[in-house]
Amino acid sequence: MKRISISPPVAALILAVILFLLSGLLPNGFGSDLDVARAQATNILRLAVFLGVIAAGQTLVIISGAEGIDLSAGSVVTLTAILTYVIVNGANEKVLPALLVSLAVGAVIGLINGAGITFLKISPFVMTLGMSGVVTGTIIIVNQGSVSGKVAPIMTRLIARPLSPEIPIPNAIIIWLIFGTLMWLLLERTAFGKNLFAIGVNRVTARLSGVDVTGMNLATYSLAGALAGFGGFLVVGNTGVVFIALGQPFLFPSIAAVAVGGTLLSGGKGSYWGTMAGAIVLTLITSLLTTMQMPESVRRMVLGATLLILISIYGRQRSLRQ
Amino acid sequence: MVESLSARNIVKHYGGVVALTDGNLEVHAREVVALIGANGSGKSTMSKVINGVVVLDGGQLLLDGKPIDFPSPQTAKNAGIATVFQELSLIPQLTVAENIWLTREPLNQFGMVDQKTVHARTEELLALFAGTFKTDLHPDAPVASLPPDEKQIIEILKAVSFDPWLIILDEATASLDSRQVGRLFELVQKWKEQGKAIIFVSHRMEEIFRIADKYSVLRNGRTVGAGNIKDINEKQLIKLMIEKESVLGFLRGEAKSGERIEQEISLEAQSLTTDYLRGVSFKLRKGELVGIGGLRGQGQRQLLHSLFGDLPYSGTVKLFNKEVHFKHPREAMRNGFALVPGERAKEGLLYIRSILDNLLLPSWKRYGLPLKVNQAKMDATQTGSSLNLKMAGLEEPVSSLSGGNAQKVVIGKWLMREPKVLLLDDPTKGVDVGTKAEFYTLLTQLSEEGKTILFYSSDDEELIGLCDRVLVMYDGMIRTELSGNTLTKENLISSSLGVTNGGAE
Amino acid sequence: MKQSGWDALVARRPALFALILLVLSLIINFILQPNMFARETLNSNMRVFLPIILLAAGQAIVILGGGIDISVGGTVSIVNTVLATRVGLEGSPEQMWQFVFLSLLAGLIAGAINGFFIAYLRLQPIITTYATSFIYAGLALVILPNPGGGIPAQIVSLYRNSTPFSLPLAVYIIAIVLLVWLYVSSTRYGKFLFAVGGKADAAYETAVPVTWVQFSTYVISGLMAALSGIAITMLSGSGNADIGGPMTLNSITAVVIGGNALSGGVGGVAGPIMGAITLGILQNIISFADIDTWWETLIKATIIVLALAAPGIVNLFRRRKRS
Repeated sequence: MKRISISPPVAALILAVILFLLSGLLPNGFGSDLDVARAQATNILRLAVFLGVIAAGQTLVIISGAEGIDLSAGSVVTLTAILTYVIVNGANEKVLPALLVSLAVGAVIGLINGAGITFLKISPFVMTLGMSGVVTGTIIIVNQGSVSGKVAPIMTRLIARPLSPEIPIPNAIIIWLIFGTLMWLLLERTAFGKNLFAIGVNRVTARLSGVDVTGMNLATYSLAGALAGFGGFLVVGNTGVVFIALGQPFLFPSIAAVAVGGTLLSGGKGSYWGTMAGAIVLTLITSLLTTMQMPESVRRMVLGATLLILISIYGRQRSLRQ
Repeated sequence: MVESLSARNIVKHYGGVVALTDGNLEVHAREVVALIGANGSGKSTMSKVINGVVVLDGGQLLLDGKPIDFPSPQTAKNAGIATVFQELSLIPQLTVAENIWLTREPLNQFGMVDQKTVHARTEELLALFAGTFKTDLHPDAPVASLPPDEKQIIEILKAVSFDPWLIILDEATASLDSRQVGRLFELVQKWKEQGKAIIFVSHRMEEIFRIADKYSVLRNGRTVGAGNIKDINEKQLIKLMIEKESVLGFLRGEAKSGERIEQEISLEAQSLTTDYLRGVSFKLRKGELVGIGGLRGQGQRQLLHSLFGDLPYSGTVKLFNKEVHFKHPREAMRNGFALVPGERAKEGLLYIRSILDNLLLPSWKRYGLPLKVNQAKMDATQTGSSLNLKMAGLEEPVSSLSGGNAQKVVIGKWLMREPKVLLLDDPTKGVDVGTKAEFYTLLTQLSEEGKTILFYSSDDEELIGLCDRVLVMYDGMIRTELSGNTLTKENLISSSLGVTNGGAE
Repeated sequence: MKQSGWDALVARRPALFALILLVLSLIINFILQPNMFARETLNSNMRVFLPIILLAAGQAIVILGGGIDISVGGTVSIVNTVLATRVGLEGSPEQMWQFVFLSLLAGLIAGAINGFFIAYLRLQPIITTYATSFIYAGLALVILPNPGGGIPAQIVSLYRNSTPFSLPLAVYIIAIVLLVWLYVSSTRYGKFLFAVGGKADAAYETAVPVTWVQFSTYVISGLMAALSGIAITMLSGSGNADIGGPMTLNSITAVVIGGNALSGGVGGVAGPIMGAITLGILQNIISFADIDTWWETLIKATIIVLALAAPGIVNLFRRRKRS
């Protein structure tokens, strides 16, 4: 009895394509106009980039196992978006410092998460949940109701605009592809990646095979924080405005994207390609529902139901009886 | 009372892996049947078929000649079948009493668990093994705090607590010391007289001949022989299991000469102390194969793990006359140490990852950035074939391997690093006879290459046949050192029990 | 392996830390607000705490059984919007009680859906209940797109102002929840719950009905969420589809502060109830301490993190002292 097996990233991508083609049949869909279809596809991909990058850190902590999860990602996105906004304040030459600050602030928050989880044995769920509150509190104090700043033209050029007038691919997508390749290299072609999978499966075995589990845990959460920080930088470069609730809507979709992409939520198995596919599926569904002018209530329900169906297909855990 | 149970032509697959192709077993009241077979021959699957844990893919179960189906463990239990599992089925968070009576708690008229009765009955059961416990074992002790042998005993008590007519002992003696095994066998005799049947699954020949009335041998998922134990001997049984006779020779390796005394001292420990070890000192020479003996749980594990940097200790450890004090296994590893831990699944393997990832786990850093994966695969293939590792491919998960092959992966991952000092914690536990023989050749060969090997085994034959010297541990100390003429089974056993009339102090 | 007295105590009484925190926060609150134990003040506090207490009790059961329920807030919202739209400000008490019954049924169904996917289809709890939380929250929004509606004033007053024998109504309800738990935990089902949360496959081999137990925890959690939704509706007297959302994470925080391990099998219900009260008192303290509003969120979050970290910090110091 051989089961038909299809890898989750591929399944998610096929689903995305089917959904997209179906959306063309909607009353206000692209119909048979290929140019419009291409434009819509590009736009959805561009939107998926932000969720995809924010979900990268989530992928790492989930692979690291021991109930790893980062619930502070949303608030970190907001914080670094605001920092970028304030630091850059319209000046091109401040973009690089702003990026570095975003990465560093994210990394420090991640490091605190990692320290609490590793040394104080707080479960990742509550530690990062608590940290999310702390970060949000910090934002409120820094913010005090209003921020003044501005993104720089070069950010808009590099993130929101297409590569060139002839090649209508937004830069964000190119950044994402490079980013995806780097993530693949990190997970599959470095000792760090191999050790990450190892601690995700079995920390005792990993330690007895010479893996510095403590160090790996700290590094993983820091890296996840830094990646969320990078996400905040990208998001503000795209939207051009900041507000307190900017990052939070990305949080749970980032976890969902990882799950839809076939990464085991219990750790030790998964890929960033899968997360990318997951981010595309989720973004596609959201934008489809928006196109169909569905009210918020229906959008939520459809998103929930889709997620439920997807994980029912390949998110099943091993049965107790074999 | 039920008189017999038989399993006929049982077939069972796990995904694509065939565990049983034609399994047969027949057991009657008042007899002990030894279920024997190499690792991966389907013994454990056979017991899981009988107790309803797995779904059958073919074949039939008969209870007193009538076909019966066990759709769940509960139904098998209702039919009077109890299993002592090899992988413990205890829940660490619950107490001894709660574990024993789980699902069968005596209730009062309000549906609440009757604590008094539970307590009294648990005390009665514990009394069966009274005097063999190392800790103060009481009904309210959380199971998580017990040593492995006592967990195993609770597991046995849990199985017999509902007065079954058939008891399956699946490797139940593997973690017990000789006194506890003795007590268990007394109980088995008593159970037989009460009309119970027992299926005894074990690798230990000596125990099989001591306790069994009948035998049934599995090879590659097929029953290849069955009969009265009186009509067969150890050699013939092993022949049935593996079809080649070469193995036995190794159990009694050639006597070792004193040639290695010339070699330099490679590893030296002076009054090594942890919360369990009470000052352990020894000197090992290059190329020496030294065994650690003694009853289970006398500090052997602590000693190996301390040397490997996994447990904090005080005292001095010298490697080639240079003092070292490892605070993490990584440091030990970098200095040429390797540890094959005692619990393969929990400490040695990444179960859902590939054979490749398991073999290379300690070595990835050597393969550059980005990792030279092709080079790594070639090296892994080479190690695999040098160990005669039977696998479908490097990308297959370790979980697809049988016990002996999985253990080869654990050893293989260290051999890839060319270690100077090899620490092994009972490496042949739960490994079939054929693979054991391969390990003996391997260990002898490694010591001849000049590696220092320190090796704990729960199998006395192994220590006597293989080692140059044996350090016998008792209560956190090295009680006796046996070598040459003094290395005999009698001396090993008497010094294990803390009697020191045999060896030189 | 010998355990020192402290370790053994903490292992046997996981709620000990919750108790210490509760007493501490009560003392601080008492200093800031000396009349806090007066009947009126006590009642006005307890009636506000009750919804989250009920929610935390249900969450505690799921977590004990080795799961987690992110959808409880959605269920609270459904119940709240159903009551506020179907009973209405002008409704009769009989109608109210009818819909209270219907609400409990809704909670049961919501929980059963979660339980079906998690226990029978074996999906991961966190992501499954996250998905259903969207469905439930969306449904609440369909029922009541904009805040409004309400329930009869006399029902609100019954909930807000009943103080039999000079004790707040909420105290009696908490006592009932605790008594029920005390009973349940000493039945066979109680043992099953700990066994399934502790080590599900071992429990299965011992013939514990694992799937059924897992399923039941979500049903209980759904019912408790419905009760919580009824309580919060009777407290506020009006409807709002977003009322439950923020309560989910609070219920989980309460359970963890209460000493239950998120991995399951350790803890109880008394601890999480204390945890929920502590969270409520913390809010009180912050509002009484005259803190600049900008700082409120940060201070509250920091205190929660410290509360969660405290057992770990104590252990860290103890380990250092020993070595």
